[in-house]
Amino acid sequence: MLSRTADTLFWLGRYVERADNTARIIDAANRLATVPDSLAGETSEWEPALAAAGVLSGYTEHHDEVDRDPAIDYLAFSPDNFSSIKNCLGTARNNARAVRTALTAEMWEAINEAWQELKRYDGARMDRQTLNTFLSRVKEACLRFDGSAYRTMLRHDAYWFLRLGFYLERADSTARILDVKYHVLLPEDAQVGGGLDYFQWTSILRSVSALTAYRWVYHESLKPWLIADLLVLNAKMPRSLASCYENLATFLDHLSLAYGRQGPAQRQARSTMTRLQNAQISEIFQNKGLHEFLTEFIDENARLGETISKQYLT
Amino acid sequence: MRLKIRHETSYVYGTPATRAIQILRLTPRGHDSQFVVNWRIDVDQDCRLDASRDPFGNAVQSFTVEGPLDGLTIVAEGVVETQDNSGIVHGQAERLPLPVYLRDTPLTRASPGIRALAEQASAAAGPDTLPILYAIMNGIRDRLDFIVNVTDSGTTAIDAFSHGHGVCQDFSHIFIAAARHIGLPARYVSGYLFHTEMLDGQAAGHAWAEVLVDDLGWVAFDPANGIAATDSYVRVAVGLDYLGAAPIRGTRYGGADETMEVKIMVNETARAG
Repeated sequence: MLSRTADTLFWLGRYVERADNTARIIDAANRLATVPDSLAGETSEWEPALAAAGVLSGYTEHHDEVDRDPAIDYLAFSPDNFSSIKNCLGTARNNARAVRTALTAEMWEAINEAWQELKRYDGARMDRQTLNTFLSRVKEACLRFDGSAYRTMLRHDAYWFLRLGFYLERADSTARILDVKYHVLLPEDAQVGGGLDYFQWTSILRSVSALTAYRWVYHESLKPWLIADLLVLNAKMPRSLASCYENLATFLDHLSLAYGRQGPAQRQARSTMTRLQNAQISEIFQNKGLHEFLTEFIDENARLGETISKQYLT
Repeated sequence: MRLKIRHETSYVYGTPATRAIQILRLTPRGHDSQFVVNWRIDVDQDCRLDASRDPFGNAVQSFTVEGPLDGLTIVAEGVVETQDNSGIVHGQAERLPLPVYLRDTPLTRASPGIRALAEQASAAAGPDTLPILYAIMNGIRDRLDFIVNVTDSGTTAIDAFSHGHGVCQDFSHIFIAAARHIGLPARYVSGYLFHTEMLDGQAAGHAWAEVLVDDLGWVAFDPANGIAATDSYVRVAVGLDYLGAAPIRGTRYGGADETMEVKIMVNETARAG
């Protein structure tokens, strides 16, 4: 496969996943913003949402204040934001067209139809109802694309590069969502705050669709260190860092077997995966603290992206 | 190195057993230079494998089989990808405070002879830890011959040292006893060793030791071969001695005339890199 094709597939995966993640972040922030002020105090949900999507600095270049409407517009529609949902889907669709023959018909239809429908939306007249419809459509489109790949694509290098893009992006997103809220995720012996924290924790779990999973795994009320455990170390949870790295290691291993050689990307993914498998959440809280752990993880994850890029995509 | 491993243990009972209980430490976990591609354990009787972790961080499976049983076969197999890291082990599951590994056990108690060997090595090799450990290893290899089927799994470090022969388990016990005597935390490792002259179906796994070295962390030494571990070594379980890291421990109710056969194959497979 040409490295250019591999690169396009990899980024196709990343953009579709990014669109999905941003839709989830907006959804969760939107819910949290409905918590009455008497409970929440004077907090803004939109600054953390922009930070979780990794676009806060870009936003502040265009706007002086963080407010609901401009924030949603920037996250979802703005042409200025490289990572807005609309830009992600547009770029994903362009990438898909460039490697059309490497995709199946179902995948192409999924991304193309999503783009045709969603490009009509813009941020100007966004009431709550329309926004919810838009976000559901985005999530459905990503699910459909993901499911089409899963159900119809030949398991060879094209599939693996697409998957690498998905999981690298997903790991980044989960880590950022946690990191933005690390101050409400405290270790076991810390003083637990009031009602607002409860909404914050629910919101974290909601933004990675893990609220029900949490109840299945722990059978108890929300505890911040268990939320961190679920999203960092539990390999059964599909959006956890551990799960993302099991997948990255597996797909990189498939590539190394198919190509008959391996390199730094394989070693790096395995090493991160092993550390996540062997770690305990209490250690993470004790040794470095969650924030520092996540910051390091986000850097490490970005380095893996560069390594994969050097090894296969250029 | 990509290694395919198959470890088969079969029990045959002359008189059927009514029940058997087994605890397995047969599942390798990853560390920085060891990646478990896939691994599975099969038991030829209907039973439920309960997976757990022991205090050392080893993966443990246990099961009970109801009889009457005239035999029992346990197969562990899978693929592990290893890298040479000069024996240094990083990124492994670490669960216990390090001074725990200074504790001696009946199997790893040091005799005056072992203590003397450790002290001489320490005096001769200077202040750095690594040369001391190599000196201890060479001292043990000078004193002991590698002879199979003379010692058994209950042989202590003291006995093996005074008899002057043993297998990898005995070499490791003596090495651990010596290292602990000079204040270095040390532990027993059970696992697999790939070597090119190996015959298919060899009858034993391998055993070596890890010692905590300043600045480096845990370093794996194979006293039976006198080297630091390489990418030919697959680390499965650790413990204070053989009993803590033994691949299979168990018991049976009823039955008699038990014979056990072990077949281990370690082969290099479709190489990547």
